[in-house]
Amino acid sequence: MPSSRRAPWRRRAAAAVLAAGALLLAGCSGSASGGASGDQVLTIPREDMGTFSRNFNPFSPNVAPMTQQAVYESMLVYNPADGSTTPWLATSWEAAEDGRSVTYTLREGVKWSDGEPFTAEDVTYTFELHQELLGGYPYVESVTAEGAGAVRFEFNEPFSPGLYELGQQIIIPRHIWEGIEDPANDTNGTPVGTGPYTEVVDFQAQSFQLGKNPHYWQPDKQRIEGIRLLAFAGNDGANLATINGEVDWAQSFIPEIEDSFVGRDPEHRHYWFPSTGSMINWQLNTAKAPFDDVDVRRALSMAIDRETITEVGMNGYTDPADCTGLSGNYDTWRAQAVVTDCDWTRQDVDEANRILDEAGYERDGDGRRRLPDGSPFAFDIAVGSASSDWLSVADIISQDLERIGVSARVQARDWGQVTADYEDGSFDTGIVWSNNAPTPYQFYRGTMSSGTVKPVGERTLDNYHRFADEEADALLDEFAATFDEEEQRAVATELQARFAELAPVVPLFPGPEWGEYLDSRFTGWPTEDDPYATLSNRSPTTVLVLTSLRPVTD
Amino acid sequence: MRFILRNLGFYLIAFWASITLNFMLPRFMPGDPVSRMFAQSQDQMRPEQVEELRRLFGLDDRPLWRQYLSYVHDVCTGQLGVSISRFPTPVSEVIGAQIGWTLLLGGTALVLAAVLGNLLGIVAAWRRGGLVDSVLPPLLIFVGSFPYFWLAMGALYLFGLTLGWFPLRHAYDVGFTPEWSWAFVSNAGSHLVLPALTIVVVSVGGWMLGMRNTMIATTAEDYITMAEAKGLRPMRIMFRYAARNALLPSVTNLGMALGFIVGGALLTEVVFAYPGVGYQLLSAVQGLDYPLMQGIFLTITASVLFANFVVDLVYVRLDPRVRVG
Repeated sequence: MPSSRRAPWRRRAAAAVLAAGALLLAGCSGSASGGASGDQVLTIPREDMGTFSRNFNPFSPNVAPMTQQAVYESMLVYNPADGSTTPWLATSWEAAEDGRSVTYTLREGVKWSDGEPFTAEDVTYTFELHQELLGGYPYVESVTAEGAGAVRFEFNEPFSPGLYELGQQIIIPRHIWEGIEDPANDTNGTPVGTGPYTEVVDFQAQSFQLGKNPHYWQPDKQRIEGIRLLAFAGNDGANLATINGEVDWAQSFIPEIEDSFVGRDPEHRHYWFPSTGSMINWQLNTAKAPFDDVDVRRALSMAIDRETITEVGMNGYTDPADCTGLSGNYDTWRAQAVVTDCDWTRQDVDEANRILDEAGYERDGDGRRRLPDGSPFAFDIAVGSASSDWLSVADIISQDLERIGVSARVQARDWGQVTADYEDGSFDTGIVWSNNAPTPYQFYRGTMSSGTVKPVGERTLDNYHRFADEEADALLDEFAATFDEEEQRAVATELQARFAELAPVVPLFPGPEWGEYLDSRFTGWPTEDDPYATLSNRSPTTVLVLTSLRPVTD
Repeated sequence: MRFILRNLGFYLIAFWASITLNFMLPRFMPGDPVSRMFAQSQDQMRPEQVEELRRLFGLDDRPLWRQYLSYVHDVCTGQLGVSISRFPTPVSEVIGAQIGWTLLLGGTALVLAAVLGNLLGIVAAWRRGGLVDSVLPPLLIFVGSFPYFWLAMGALYLFGLTLGWFPLRHAYDVGFTPEWSWAFVSNAGSHLVLPALTIVVVSVGGWMLGMRNTMIATTAEDYITMAEAKGLRPMRIMFRYAARNALLPSVTNLGMALGFIVGGALLTEVVFAYPGVGYQLLSAVQGLDYPLMQGIFLTITASVLFANFVVDLVYVRLDPRVRVG
């Protein structure tokens, strides 16, 4: 079939065509399928899954959507949109003075969807099974139940970020999983969980529906009748359904969203793209000259125009980064003093030129800069060819660098190839995501810690740019050692200052978290004014939305 | 009989060569499945999880030749393994769940395009310079050279969204369960129209042109003049004398195309969110899902070879010259 040979990565372009078409039709009214009788189901498209497999095994990386959001629950829910933490299966937690243990007090009266009570044994068994199947949690020494209502985690070293990591682990029922012979390969077709929507009402490869958990611990919050998921092999199909008003809650990139989506029914159609995703950085391989020179990193950063990058490259859906490197996820941690004192994330071509001149990267007769050893100042920017938005960002960077006499060639290849080069350290520069977690610890560990640096040639999955700083190491250890939020904040401020001083990577913009919704059939969505969760339908905060929405009745 | 046996030997060698390629090609690609998954999930996965997943998938660290031996053994015993991108679903289940829709869509489109194209080709060649001959070939080639993606989006937009004649997505409506009932079959049928039609529109021109050209050559043969001289009815000459002989190349093409159907129609599946193997293959390639890739390639290889074998058999019946050679 000739059609199957064409390059698949035209999705965005085609989506733009679609959006343009939608513009023409903006006059037509969108038809919301299903009435508002009060028992309508919440419909969610998955643009990244062409078909669903009936696999509700939470240990599987390809688990069916909603398993970790609606079927199983965790002890606490961290919300990056406002930095708050909601107690969930645990009502409270306490860390030991020395930072070597945490005890979670579990909620009373929680039942599994088969009616069995939820106990501390379930929590200990979950971690036992997790370590057996997947390993992980290297800092956990032991997990013990303290009666039926509390669980105590002993650490082998002080590690405060563990509080959230452990708290966000979803919990499985011991009495079910004990009887499963091969838990790693089981598809768990009929899951038993503590979540609000656990019953598989209907399962087809192209759509499935979950119904209410009959034993949910917050029955007054199960106002939605059920959740239906639709499978789409790409953004186009999903966006078409969204634009056509057939789904309630989408999470995909829609070009020209104001016109193509909102414009068709401004009263009921909304979107919110909080910048709580991971910071997108331009990573310079600091194991290679001239990127080992902090002046070069700062000068290159000053040469680029982040306003154009976010406006043109990212459709205006996000904002330029500042010198802390922190995304919108860490707004409560951000040190304003560091932001105002620092200038290398603001475009200043003259200053960039001055720095490079002074540092000995002189221009030749053609105005091209040369390294001190006489070779041309030229390098590659490697980006996965599938990411059309990041490619245009790289193009803008490359054009901006022309103005300071530096040649950067944008190299678009298959993501696998690109990351293989990142991993073994053979790349020059690239546009790369960064770690994103409840505290800034993971972000700074991934950008500046010697614990994450591997020599060039050896594979690593963290710190591709291979930068380490001893002072940052000490600060990170200090951060991990304390559970006290005041102290953590003080250390985080120092880390930000260190980051601003060293420019280990060149932060570009925080990744936006897509989220679109229609409130004609359900109300109570998180918004910029009421950020009780993000608008993501596949993150830990999803359960907060599911338990807050109300169906509209006529 | 000797002809068939000799061909059978050739097919065995071809099969071995292609399964070897199936094994080698994915492994020439850079990276491994887990680091792919890591790169694709971006900030959703922690680096520590990579080792965990390697362990979970039981990824092979053995030398290539040993992997190859056990791969050949598995292929011969029909074990396709467990898919990585859809872990822990077995590859046979992933393919099995999709291939029916792929065969339905690809088969319908191919049969329609081939029958329609050949008929038009016959008519065009018979009435050379007539309306069909002068208007249709350029028009169909013109339409066929549109980017398929664009055409499909346009059709979906016009007939699905604006006019609302056909459903916008999927193989059947939400709420149906596949079964042999009129309600389901008609629902699935209405979902099939647009995807199949767009494929027919882009591919019918090729069939028509091919048939027209062979047909013109055939109509110049002496036996056609002879038939006309005998005063046979034109319809009889057209179909029984000219078209029947001109059909041979089309049979070969049909065999080839039949074999390739199982590869799926990726773009159709993407635009119409139609289930099928094409999208599975794409995600398998992107995720370096060796077992699934091998499974799909194997299915394609086997069906192309099988279809060709059948065409060879049919040829023995259709064309006496083959029997002698």
